[in-house]
Amino acid sequence: MASIVPYVAIVDDEEPVRKALKRLLRASGLDAESYASGQDFLEAAVLREPDCVLLDLHMPRMSGLQVLRALQAARRALAIIVITAHDAPETREQCLAAGASAFLRKPLEEHELLDTITAALGARTR
Amino acid sequence: MDSHPASSAGAAPGLTHPGWRFGARTTWAAPALLVAVGYYFAARVGFAFTLQPYPISTLWPPNALLLAALLLAPTRAWWWLLAAVLPAHLLVELQSGVPVAMVLGWYVSNCSEALIGAGLARAFVPWPLRLDSLRSAGIFLFCGALAGPVVSSFLDAALVSLVGFGERGYWDLVGTRIFSNTLAALTVAPLILTLASIQIPRLRAARTARYAEATALFVGLGVTCMMVFNLPQFDNHTEPALFYAPLPFLVWAALRFGPAGTASAIAVLVVATIFGTVNGLGPFAGSTPQETVREMQLFLTAVAVPMLLLAVVLDERARVELDAREQRLQLTHLSRVAMLGELSGGIAHELNQPLTAILSNAQAALHLVGNKSAHPDILMEILRDIIAADQRAGEVIRRLRTLFKRGETQFQPLDANELIHEVLGIVHGDLVTRSVEVVSELAAALPKIHGDRVELEQVMLNLVVNACDAMGGGVAPEQRRLTVRTRAVEDGAVQISFSDCGPGFTPEQYARLFEPFYTTKPRGLGLGLSISRAIIRTHHGRLWGSSAPGKGASFHIVLPALAANGR
Repeated sequence: MASIVPYVAIVDDEEPVRKALKRLLRASGLDAESYASGQDFLEAAVLREPDCVLLDLHMPRMSGLQVLRALQAARRALAIIVITAHDAPETREQCLAAGASAFLRKPLEEHELLDTITAALGARTR
Repeated sequence: MDSHPASSAGAAPGLTHPGWRFGARTTWAAPALLVAVGYYFAARVGFAFTLQPYPISTLWPPNALLLAALLLAPTRAWWWLLAAVLPAHLLVELQSGVPVAMVLGWYVSNCSEALIGAGLARAFVPWPLRLDSLRSAGIFLFCGALAGPVVSSFLDAALVSLVGFGERGYWDLVGTRIFSNTLAALTVAPLILTLASIQIPRLRAARTARYAEATALFVGLGVTCMMVFNLPQFDNHTEPALFYAPLPFLVWAALRFGPAGTASAIAVLVVATIFGTVNGLGPFAGSTPQETVREMQLFLTAVAVPMLLLAVVLDERARVELDAREQRLQLTHLSRVAMLGELSGGIAHELNQPLTAILSNAQAALHLVGNKSAHPDILMEILRDIIAADQRAGEVIRRLRTLFKRGETQFQPLDANELIHEVLGIVHGDLVTRSVEVVSELAAALPKIHGDRVELEQVMLNLVVNACDAMGGGVAPEQRRLTVRTRAVEDGAVQISFSDCGPGFTPEQYARLFEPFYTTKPRGLGLGLSISRAIIRTHHGRLWGSSAPGKGASFHIVLPALAANGR
């Protein structure tokens, strides 16, 4: 169940990106934490489950898709928004099939990002 | 002056201007006037080169000038030019006291010589004739320097006999006129034709050293000609070796200054030789004029023809090589651009990352400022991050711009490790999106190599893209690994290797791998490796592949180190 201030986890191997996204989400009144890899996130998520996840697709060692599948295998239904800097239409379908609730392309437009997070949070609280 | 047979002569300056062409809208007045003025002065030169007291013209340039003008003009303009030289012809000939009937007869034979030469040549070569290939030079020599003078000389001698001018026999006239006019055609017409095709901007762009070389050539040639043909102490036939003294200068001109330089050098030799001879100096002075003049003309013709042909052949070969080089450069550039096109997805990824950081940081800062909760330190940090991200995007574009550019090959000292760093920077996006892990094993303190940065990056880029493609389908994402190694090898060379863990290649495939248009990719052009090998060859290096079945493929480049190849 969501806390009073929703908590969003950011998973991205690019340090400047995750730092900027964390700043933006926090400035927009959300609680945000960032992780540099899928493994880091999965370990932390056991302790504190996020209300929403911004998950980068292309990461070394464990890709966003592998994170999605790991969560699916563990039967953990999180609101996950996949974000990618790479324009590949086929991956969108794969991600949605693997349980992602939305798929956004970088650079992320603030309103679109916040609207998508709000929608994902709303779907989760219902 | 009985036998100054019509020859051709000197170039009208207007015709020699490179940017200038006879065209549909050209008015003929100015060019025709220039040809007429040129004809007049060429005839004056012809009179000046007459052996006294025997009235034998040794060189008759007006006809050669007319021939060159016709060769440069479109056929429809010919009548204008022929008409324009009539007043010049009358003016110069009537001054010399020749009967009017003979003056008109010579006008006819002079024009016929130029017309025969130019008309025949035009049948073989479309307008305008340039001395830029062995074929066109051969056609010029046969039509302009041989057929025109020979055929028109029979007419000329017949007209002289008909008018009853002078006392020389028909065959004597024919022979004298042929030699005189052929020499004029060989001297004057190539000069005009080649100077007409000189490009002024290229002349302006030439370096000072080149002008100095040309000056040295022509001063040396002039002095040598003066020594051999214009000083009395060499005035005998006992030193035939002296005839060869100007030859090195003519060869120099042919090797370094093309047909135009050679035609100019021949003109210097011809003028100096004739000047000496008509003034009773040099090896051709002495016995009877008829004999020595004929000898001199034969000597000059025998020198001019092979030198002119040599210059044209060398020029043609150099141009063919230049064209081939240009095509190679174009193909290399096209292949590079095509490869960058394939990388566009990865490049978009590389640009989108910093753009994301910039946008999100700026929007965060707006919120902080709007909420009045912005601490200056936080804002400073955000701005610094924005600057860093912007610089990263700028770096991506800088790398791309270098590779997209089409330029001349520029050799410079290069660090192989730095090149690899650049190349991996360009493909970083692609490596990330294709889940290829890069293992770099770069030797420290490698000797510098000597090469063109863009071309070597292109080769490495090609090998990296091939490696990624090889691992695309059959290899699981977590196993895709590209190993890049550099090391110093014996003989002071540097080896750069790219190893993938794809399926590798069979010996049969390897046998064709470097052939143009051979590809194992569904959408490949099959040019990458053949161009890469050509590039490495121009760097005096080697490019080869090795593969163990099922254990991936490796491609290796060996390039000589800077100190080792002495540059």
